[in-house]
Amino acid sequence: LSLNLLIFLPAIGAIAIALLPREEHGQLRAAALTFMLATFGLALWVWGAFDPSSAAPEFQLETQWSWAPSIGFTYHVGIDGVALVLMLLTAVLTPLALLSAFQSVRERVKEFVIALLLLETAMLGTLAAIDLVLFYVFWEAMLLPMYLLIGVWGYERRIYAAVKFFIYTMAGSLLMLVAILYLYAATGGPGSRTFDLPAILAHAPHLALPVQRWLFFAFALSFAIKVPMFPLHTWLPDAHVEAPAAGSIILAGVLLKMGTFGFVRYAFPLFPQAAIQYRPLLAVLAVIGIVYGALMSLSQSDMKKLVAYSSVSHLGFVMLGLCALTVEGITGSVYQMLNHGISTGALFALVGFLYERRHSREMSQYGGLAAVVPALAAVFLIITLSSVGLPGTNGFVGEFLILSGTFSSKLPQSPWYTMFGALGVILGAVYMLWMYQRVFFGPVKNEANQGLADLTPREWTVLGPLVLLAIGMGLFPGPILSRIQPAADRLVHRLEHTQPALVGTPLASLARLRVTGIPPRPNQGTPAPIDEPGAVPSIPRIHLPQTFHPLPRPQGAHP
Amino acid sequence: MSFTLDDLLALSPVIALSAGALVLMLTEVFLRGERRGYQAIATAVTALAAALLYVWLGPESIAKPRALSGGFAVIDGFSCFAGATICIGLLFATLIGAGFLKPRAAERGEFYALCLLAAAGMCLLVQGNDLLFIFVALETMSIATYALAAYLRAESRPTEAAFKYFLLGAVSSAFFLFGAALCFGASGHTQLTEIGRLSAAPQVAGTQALLLAGLVLLLVGFGFKIAAVPFHMWAPDVYEGSPTPVTAFMAIAVKTAAFGALLRVLITAFGETGLAGPETWRPLLGGLAILTMVGGNLWALSERSVKRMLAYSSVAHAGYLLVGVVSSGNLETRGEAVSSLLYYAAAYTAAAGGALGVVALLERVGPESGQAWDLDRFAGLGQRRPFSAAAMTVLMLSLAGIPPTAGFMGKFLIFRAAVDAGELPLAIVGVVSALLGLYYYLRLIVYMYMRPAAQTAVPVHRHWPGEAAVIAGAAATLWFGILTGPLANAAQLSGLFGG
Repeated sequence: LSLNLLIFLPAIGAIAIALLPREEHGQLRAAALTFMLATFGLALWVWGAFDPSSAAPEFQLETQWSWAPSIGFTYHVGIDGVALVLMLLTAVLTPLALLSAFQSVRERVKEFVIALLLLETAMLGTLAAIDLVLFYVFWEAMLLPMYLLIGVWGYERRIYAAVKFFIYTMAGSLLMLVAILYLYAATGGPGSRTFDLPAILAHAPHLALPVQRWLFFAFALSFAIKVPMFPLHTWLPDAHVEAPAAGSIILAGVLLKMGTFGFVRYAFPLFPQAAIQYRPLLAVLAVIGIVYGALMSLSQSDMKKLVAYSSVSHLGFVMLGLCALTVEGITGSVYQMLNHGISTGALFALVGFLYERRHSREMSQYGGLAAVVPALAAVFLIITLSSVGLPGTNGFVGEFLILSGTFSSKLPQSPWYTMFGALGVILGAVYMLWMYQRVFFGPVKNEANQGLADLTPREWTVLGPLVLLAIGMGLFPGPILSRIQPAADRLVHRLEHTQPALVGTPLASLARLRVTGIPPRPNQGTPAPIDEPGAVPSIPRIHLPQTFHPLPRPQGAHP
Repeated sequence: MSFTLDDLLALSPVIALSAGALVLMLTEVFLRGERRGYQAIATAVTALAAALLYVWLGPESIAKPRALSGGFAVIDGFSCFAGATICIGLLFATLIGAGFLKPRAAERGEFYALCLLAAAGMCLLVQGNDLLFIFVALETMSIATYALAAYLRAESRPTEAAFKYFLLGAVSSAFFLFGAALCFGASGHTQLTEIGRLSAAPQVAGTQALLLAGLVLLLVGFGFKIAAVPFHMWAPDVYEGSPTPVTAFMAIAVKTAAFGALLRVLITAFGETGLAGPETWRPLLGGLAILTMVGGNLWALSERSVKRMLAYSSVAHAGYLLVGVVSSGNLETRGEAVSSLLYYAAAYTAAAGGALGVVALLERVGPESGQAWDLDRFAGLGQRRPFSAAAMTVLMLSLAGIPPTAGFMGKFLIFRAAVDAGELPLAIVGVVSALLGLYYYLRLIVYMYMRPAAQTAVPVHRHWPGEAAVIAGAAATLWFGILTGPLANAAQLSGLFGG
């Protein structure tokens, strides 16, 4: 029940707030914040109720109610570790986003907080749903509040950006809808057909390969648009630049993760054979995204656009880790989703605070701010470092796991992917630090910057938790990793089951990693032709360790 | 052929509607003074009563579908569900009309009486099981609607619209009648059941060819009535020119009735395998469905007039309903297809009825210029009327098929039936065209929330019946979008044909 309350508490709040008078801005904000904090409290409770041991069932805290039995829908929610950590991220970021917008959103406050609350319900629901129709309903329900956030409270070209965002995302989801319907028709005979994810998970992997390919394509397209992966990313810079700071925080922090989450929860486990076939393509696109996003960031003069393109790059990392299909890579990817949510959310908040002071996002307008606003500069620095993955910050843990997971994976030519990924890390450091230098170092060139105020208590409240999380998650990744890892294990097992030669992390490599910190050589064996499962050389099944501590302490590895 | 009490009971909704019409016409004659408020109330009560009668008749008809004495009409789950939907459509039109006519000093008994008569014709249409009977019902409906379209006769646009509607309607009736005659010539019967018996058991090749020709002509006739591309040319002009309550009536109730009759003719008379059977009409209607979905949405894209946009959107929705009709050609999944179509029609009734209700609220009293229903009229509505704007947003989302609205569930069920029936390409074209549609539905939301109101904005009228229609439409759309179970269940039970 706690899970249901967690999902619907924001929506209940939205209804309650609809009844409040619209002129009382303070009251509206306070009420919304109260509901969001209560949601956060519930999320913590759910975190406590979640059993992280790998013996626990795949989906925990399940609830199943009949919704429309005559057409096979059920209301079925439940969470695994991945959903759990992402729900917590959602519950953390939403109140901070609202708090960051106290100053900048002064018009139509009522609609604003209602939209945020509805968005939170939709996001939490998307993560928790384990019925395909329920998932789709929540997935689509995320669109409208975000569309309004961009279109009503955004900047000059907001309408264009909002419509582009909506149509782009919807284009993918509609094909996914057809795929869901097909999946429903294809798995299970008359009478036993269902949209229930656990039931479909048992059937879908046995579909014929051509069917799997098409279905995977439809799901992957929808998720890849949301991520966004390289050729489908063009809506993102527009949406980010035009969205208000609060919208950007939610969009970058949580909404983009829904795409990668979709791969982990739906596209890969449902269609394992197709996933393995398409994996090189996805990995190539991910690597292109990493490098391209980084290069685009380098050439931006608008801070918000820079951060937006850096999202393309960072989510390329996440996708690369997923494509590795090793426990390490997947765990690292999910961890990197959280990191990106925290660091990019904080960056958007910081850029928003600068914009509130100076009404400009052009880097050339700034310079030398470190002397004027030391606290803001310090926080900005910490977040920048977390974003570039300095050891000791959360970014390092994720990137390290992803790169080592990719290197040791059975992806053909995996060292090359790793190399380009690492190149992306370097470029990331370049553009982030260069931006930092241009904005904060040097003399104060612009007179208008002289009298800027430093962080206010409200801004500290927004940034404080994010900074603490960035450092805390860098130093103590254990609790989160141990909750993600059973889910990653399960995913790798599922894929291993279909294609043993191409997936998985040998036990030895993990052990070696733990001892020496040096990733083992990847398996260079020729991959078996995929179309003939019978031809796969029989490799003994490798049982993954029940407990998993893949990480060297970051400081120890890189002093 | 003798009528039993049960037969009267089966026709009781139609009798109620006709009686209401007669009462209104009579009292109008003897009316002194201008106290006409009772007329709308009487109509609304009659519509509601007829709808409830259908709901009450429903369970028994689902359990025991039967033909009335003489076999000219039937009562089954399908006709009860469709009939109830039509009566709800009438209710929407009445409410919108009550709010719309009063400020224009045009409230008369004829308006409501014509509405009721048209609805009686529609209800007979979905119950009809005999080509001649269906033709009579079709004409009852059509003639009343022609008159309604010209109801504001002081203005030129309604007159023009009514004339266009009349001409094309007459052509379509001619097609229908010719088709019916050929079917009669081939089979010697006008009853659908008898024709069906013949088309299922091929004896002489010539008979089959004659039946086939009759089928195609019937389809053309229906194509005009449901405004399927390429028989849709009249729709935008007529929808725009007619008074808005009448537009709503045409968009929702007429469409449901025409689809009900189409489905019954196809399934009862041409439902089994044969030359004049699903193998022939599935590809034909499949092509029509694709043209209608894509065409309707494409033309709506470039419309700035909201009323014309909704007209094209109604054409596009006819395309989605046609997908349901095509899916019903697969004998194995027929029940699913029919019930998805019923659900879709009900969802569309709430959404389009409510949306045209908003249009009526925004209309100027007096003659409208050519730019009358421009999108600009909706600019800033989110500020001026947050409640109406929120309702309109829900309705637009439903028309676009975005959850959590009934429109999404309708599209979902239609496409599911299509996939199950092996019509995957239709489902894919359907979702792609839905994407096209998304743009113009969103544009309205853009205008309502993201553009400031014009200086010369038309004041928004406050008349509670019209607002009630809007709120009812939005509330039903949300309610059935979220708690979709009961309606979907009823539609599923009603998906089986009798007779």
